[in-house]
Amino acid sequence: MVQGLARVEQIYQDRGQRVKELKAEGRKVVGYFCSLTPVEVITAVDLVPYRIMGNMRQPITHTDAYLETIACPFTRSCLDIALKGGYDFLDGFVMPHACDNIVKLYDIWGYNIKHSYAHFVNVPHTLSPASFEFFEAELETFRRSLERFSGREITTEKLTRSIQLHNEQRALVRTLYQLRKQDPPLLSGAEVTKVIVAVMSTPVTEANELLRGVIKEVKERSKGCQKKPARLMVCGTGNDDITFIEMVEESGANVVIDDLCFGTKPYWYEVEVSDNPLASIARSYLEKINCPRTYRQSPGSHQEDLEKRFGYLYDFAKEFKVNGVILYILRYCDTHALDAPDVKEYLVGKGLPVLEIEGDYPTPSPIRLKTRVQAFLEMMS
Amino acid sequence: MEPPKEKTSAEKSTEVAKRIRRLVKEMAAEAHEAKAKGTPIAYFFIVSFYDEIIRAMGIVPWGTENYAGLCAVKMDAERFLLKAEAEGYPNYLCSYATCILGFDAMRRELGGMPPGAPDGGLEYPSMMLGTGMMICDPRYKWYQAAQRYNNVPMHIHGLLTPTTDANLQEVQDYYIKYNTEELKGLVDFLERQTGRKMDWDQLSHVTDLAERTQRVWWEAYQLRKAIPAPMPTEDAVNTMVPGWFMMGTQLALDFYQELYNEVKYRVDHKIGVISDEKYRLMWGMSLPPWYGLVLFNYFESLGAVFPIEVVYHPPPPVDIPPRISHPLERIAWRTFNQLTHWHEKARKHGTDPFVEWFLELIEDYKIDGVVLHQAMTCRTIHTGQLHQIRMLRKYSDIPVLLLEGDIVDVRNYNEAATHDKIDAFIEVVDAYKKRKHS
Repeated sequence: MVQGLARVEQIYQDRGQRVKELKAEGRKVVGYFCSLTPVEVITAVDLVPYRIMGNMRQPITHTDAYLETIACPFTRSCLDIALKGGYDFLDGFVMPHACDNIVKLYDIWGYNIKHSYAHFVNVPHTLSPASFEFFEAELETFRRSLERFSGREITTEKLTRSIQLHNEQRALVRTLYQLRKQDPPLLSGAEVTKVIVAVMSTPVTEANELLRGVIKEVKERSKGCQKKPARLMVCGTGNDDITFIEMVEESGANVVIDDLCFGTKPYWYEVEVSDNPLASIARSYLEKINCPRTYRQSPGSHQEDLEKRFGYLYDFAKEFKVNGVILYILRYCDTHALDAPDVKEYLVGKGLPVLEIEGDYPTPSPIRLKTRVQAFLEMMS
Repeated sequence: MEPPKEKTSAEKSTEVAKRIRRLVKEMAAEAHEAKAKGTPIAYFFIVSFYDEIIRAMGIVPWGTENYAGLCAVKMDAERFLLKAEAEGYPNYLCSYATCILGFDAMRRELGGMPPGAPDGGLEYPSMMLGTGMMICDPRYKWYQAAQRYNNVPMHIHGLLTPTTDANLQEVQDYYIKYNTEELKGLVDFLERQTGRKMDWDQLSHVTDLAERTQRVWWEAYQLRKAIPAPMPTEDAVNTMVPGWFMMGTQLALDFYQELYNEVKYRVDHKIGVISDEKYRLMWGMSLPPWYGLVLFNYFESLGAVFPIEVVYHPPPPVDIPPRISHPLERIAWRTFNQLTHWHEKARKHGTDPFVEWFLELIEDYKIDGVVLHQAMTCRTIHTGQLHQIRMLRKYSDIPVLLLEGDIVDVRNYNEAATHDKIDAFIEVVDAYKKRKHS
């Protein structure tokens, strides 16, 4: 079997391939949405978590009769694939309470796509003590639900082992990102997106092995990307396809860091290993995943509020020597779009130029976007 | 000279509903007076399920969605919407939110009220109270965004509901406990902001009042089952104001008692909304186009009346275990039971709580057709309607019309196309009714 980036490419081109093989061997595969699904619990019961994604290259043809055109285009694309049978290999699906779009999709998916298992994990919007307690109780319900489905017990030991495996994965992804710090970076933003997509499509142990191979291969490269004047950070909503980032990189920039759902968001933290693994998962997922759907109470001035909410973006920018930011927000994403003026104000205030792009899924015209990106890069120079 | 403004609101049938405009003006006047006296004013959302707490603390609540709706009715929303767009908020966002964000931005820029703002304008708040609920992300993101203009103390209350497929017995305790704890958190926040202590006896009193009010409101709407329809939806989108914006006040209770009396009188004397009631329609779970409520009168011109609606409907009366005496626990139990009222039924039938409710109303109110409205800027309520229609059709062949428009942004509305759709729909309803009775 091929290893490293060649294997990543194989999986990226045919995401379901590996899990279908595992299914043929008798494993059960559970599809899930969003970085807020606690994959540790799924792995702990020896089910294979498989991130549900859309298809940027496939037009939406079936969804219009099931989910309104005012809904998030990414979720519409995911549903479209499912309606066409593209997710029939899943034994079940899990959706967390991420946003209005996902909440609505849960019922629609469950009604129209028949899997053996469906579960909704409710996630509070705030970081109050009661929210952590509630989330832990909700994870206990999720645990019992998975136990019933699988017929296997999820012990504390199994959960702890699963947390360790997923923490290891997060650490490996962060190590991979370190290789983008040098100028020019050792691997491109498009390559990283492919790696993340492959990792999310593979059971954790195999994915960790894959990551180790990729890191080794990239470290051994004699030279990385072409040096370019712009080192960009891309922030925003779900982007599971390389089209946009590749276009940016072809326009004269290196994308060296991101704040994306298919990027740093699920990997830039760890779950504490403790005697109460569900409490640890609840705390980490709620507190450490920087998603605008989670409200962070921040008394003080407006500037202090921005610092608390977006300080991590500036930390990224400094750490990865970023000199410009693209804010890529999918149309109809209320949580990100309501944050956008604040994010822009904060980053511009820190001296970073920001280009905001309203994305669609599939992207209608990369050429039109390319013109805007090129103009932005010219402005930066 | 300004051109005359087009008529946006519908002709109302009940005398009580005709008083709402005055009540809304009084709400605004109360807020202006509060501002002058230094009484705390809280921005808040409709259907937050904690109105009693605000009232018991002596805070003046101001429903910001309500004010956005008023701007739309007065055809004075566009300048605020455009301002919000100029500030970077895309036009697909909730137009309640963008209308008020634009208003906030303009008020800050001008250092005072935008000139000619409806009802003297929206006062600068002392605090903003959002809610992190199952749906409606703008309920916490909007106020967070508004902090760039307002920068006042803000609190987000967590209120979650299980999905339809959840086993209520398994999850009920921790869902109710969560809401109770969050309500305590809200009380703590309000005490800190106002320097006042909660008077728990007063909260019990206000909670009693709210529960009595909800019951009278519910009972008044039960009377609307009568034929001919005594009170239409265009009245109900007004008569909801005391229930959703003044809950926990004597005024709200008196209002619904009077509404009950008037509807009963109309039922007893067979006074209908229109003289020749041919078709009885139901307005589904859809927010109305506030700039175009006159469309209800267009339906009536074709012989169609709306005896009932799902949106803004009073919450169903529910039982609270007798052992529950603390007012916060009572509110939490009541909220849970109301929000899950149709869950078990929906779970058994493999449908959706709203569809179960639709089916009940269709039967009880002798409905011949269902009308939904897709508000283009609201994903909260207006995604999932196609799914509701699909499930409804599993149990009923009742005609369904899906109109397109918005809540506030008239730019998403085409009146001529809407009338064409209504004309065609009425023909379908007519055929359906004849088929049903043949």
